[in-house]
Amino acid sequence: MNVRHVSIIAAKELRDVLRDRRTLIFMLLLPIVVMPLIMIGMSKLMMSQHRAKEERELTIAATPAAQTMITALASQWQSDNAWAIRALMARIGFESAAGLKDMARLSAKAQDLRRKSEKQAGTDAATLASWKALRDLGEPERDLLRDMDSVSHLVALTNWVDLDAVRGTDRLPPGVTIPADLPPRLAASRVAGAITSKEKAVHAAVDVVDDYDLLLEQASLSVPITVLYDASQSLSKEAYDRLDAFVEALGRAQVRVRLDEHQLKTGFVKPFELKAANLASDSREIQAVIGGFLPYLIILFCFFGAFYPSLDLTAGEKERFTLETLLLAPVSRLEIAAGKFVVVFLAAVTAAVLTTASMAMTFTHGILPQGTAEAFNLEFQPLALVLAASLIVPVAALFSAMLLGVALFARSFKEAQSYAAPLQFLIIAPAVASLMPDLETEIKWAWVPLMNVSLLMKELLKGNYLWEFYTITLVSMLVLTAVVVWLSSLMFRRESVLMRT
Amino acid sequence: MSSSVAVEARDLSKVYKGPKGTTTLAADGVSFSAHGGEVFGLLGPNGAGKTTTLRMLSTVLTPTGGTALIAGHDVVREPDAVRASIGFLSGNTGLYPRLTPREVLRYFGRMYGMSDPALDQRIGHLAGLLGMTEFLGKRCDALSSGMKQKVNIARTVLHDPPVLILDEPTLGLDVLTSRTIVDLVKDCRAQGKCVIFSTHIMGEVSRLCDRLAIVHKGKVQFSGTLAELRGRAGDDLEQAFISVLESVP
Repeated sequence: MNVRHVSIIAAKELRDVLRDRRTLIFMLLLPIVVMPLIMIGMSKLMMSQHRAKEERELTIAATPAAQTMITALASQWQSDNAWAIRALMARIGFESAAGLKDMARLSAKAQDLRRKSEKQAGTDAATLASWKALRDLGEPERDLLRDMDSVSHLVALTNWVDLDAVRGTDRLPPGVTIPADLPPRLAASRVAGAITSKEKAVHAAVDVVDDYDLLLEQASLSVPITVLYDASQSLSKEAYDRLDAFVEALGRAQVRVRLDEHQLKTGFVKPFELKAANLASDSREIQAVIGGFLPYLIILFCFFGAFYPSLDLTAGEKERFTLETLLLAPVSRLEIAAGKFVVVFLAAVTAAVLTTASMAMTFTHGILPQGTAEAFNLEFQPLALVLAASLIVPVAALFSAMLLGVALFARSFKEAQSYAAPLQFLIIAPAVASLMPDLETEIKWAWVPLMNVSLLMKELLKGNYLWEFYTITLVSMLVLTAVVVWLSSLMFRRESVLMRT
Repeated sequence: MSSSVAVEARDLSKVYKGPKGTTTLAADGVSFSAHGGEVFGLLGPNGAGKTTTLRMLSTVLTPTGGTALIAGHDVVREPDAVRASIGFLSGNTGLYPRLTPREVLRYFGRMYGMSDPALDQRIGHLAGLLGMTEFLGKRCDALSSGMKQKVNIARTVLHDPPVLILDEPTLGLDVLTSRTIVDLVKDCRAQGKCVIFSTHIMGEVSRLCDRLAIVHKGKVQFSGTLAELRGRAGDDLEQAFISVLESVP
């Protein structure tokens, strides 16, 4: 093979490809612009949806007696914890809460501040002091802040309706069954109908036994509070979660009161306590998530990068009648194949590198919305990056050879698209391995092409150097790539393929 | 006329394999020879096997039987040397739409092993000769079909090959561009090159061809001078051509 011929062909093909808008879109625009925009947009949308759900007033149906009980218990909780709340507010530099609605406002303010990074908290000394105090809260204080949020949230953001006045359709949607052991007031199908209907007039229904105060006083049995909800609907689930958190908060407060009454310590009701000592920092955990996400994107964009140039330089040439012109030049068909391969390979590598770079920029340079950027304090080791990059080489070569071979067989660009597009699924299936959190990197997977690269990149980005896995992966990928390159070169030498127009 | 044989087709055959084991005999023992300083016409109706024969001469297709010598090189054993010795033009030799004519010519010139200064000089010469100077820097997709064909002609003769193979080079062109091409063919003949010229236009045959072969049903049905062909039908070239075709059972 004459290297000069190959370089002449490659230089021309590169010039040609760089003037093709479709290639530029897939090689440059998609990884550099579109992907970060999609990620930022998705992240913003998810956060705003989450915030909207948290701040939404929900409709809960309950008998007037149950409503009174919930309000009374909330007020009781507030008065039981008044001193502790005042101390907590003073500690984090907030004004004291005057009522439950005020508590809801303050807990929302505290949550908002906790989501921010130190830099984002601002330069105001008081706010910064609040931010630091919130960061340094002890476990009992954090519990109190959470309970304050749970209790005040339910009271402030619930639109109570009378259970007996709820009107819903008796015809329940498919998949809805009324549980057998419901209290009679909740068992009416009109209540289930109102919760599960499209209109979502009621998000949940609550029933409390009439003699709850007696049960509470006797302290021998728990007070049954039944919540009827539809877990398949996000807002109905949110209503349940709020009631659950509310009941948890009340329970904790009640236990404290009872222990005090009997002069008992916490250990009496909580004989064991599991203390979690997590070795992974937030950054390491997030690094693991990104480590799973990046290999998938790199493999996918490597494919996209090779896709259009490979089709353009083969089937596109047939369509434009330039392939025959090229075949008339005094160069061998293998040299033509090699020249085209070099350019498609470069496009694939470029797309993969640009994807990685643009993702890194998106994460590390605070492009993501508030609160998320600070956490991505990523520290990928140089050796890990070099080893991960070395895996891109056989992947890009494999895709380039595979796509060139397939597209060369086609008569036209359109026909080539219909042959090459299904290959995406062949790529996605093994590449998605890195996204599966429970899939362990066992040595047997090192023999599965692309899946091995996907899993190994994930481990490398986490800082785990699996040398045996790496060796098998590299060797098996190189062998497979060599076979595909050889098959593809055979296609370039087959007259029936080249002249198939 | 030079006596040196520039192109010699020896029993060239081409069988195409179709689906389910079917075969098509596109060329069946085609033999002829053409010399330097001669325009050799290859005539025949559509589907006669002309394009297949020309593609075998240019090494784009490999013969399934026989061979050919081009400027002393065997098309089967020395395809690279054959390609370096020919300039080939047909309706299937397109230009790169995203490149300019200058870039296209430089690309092919480099593959022919020409040095950059020699290449630029040659491109300048051909641009003047074919009237391409104005559009040498425009992208090929912005050119008219006449302009494109001029660039194609320039690509064909760029490396000054001893043999030119032109398959219907004036097809679909206006009178002026056709005239340019005809003049170029005459020039090449005068320079001692061998030109294999395939066409359906009898006027071009009578104006250009020194000798010719008529191919029909994959075989050479007539080979000789224009005068010999004319002699078959009282000086009417078209009638003579038809009479050759009709004589084939």
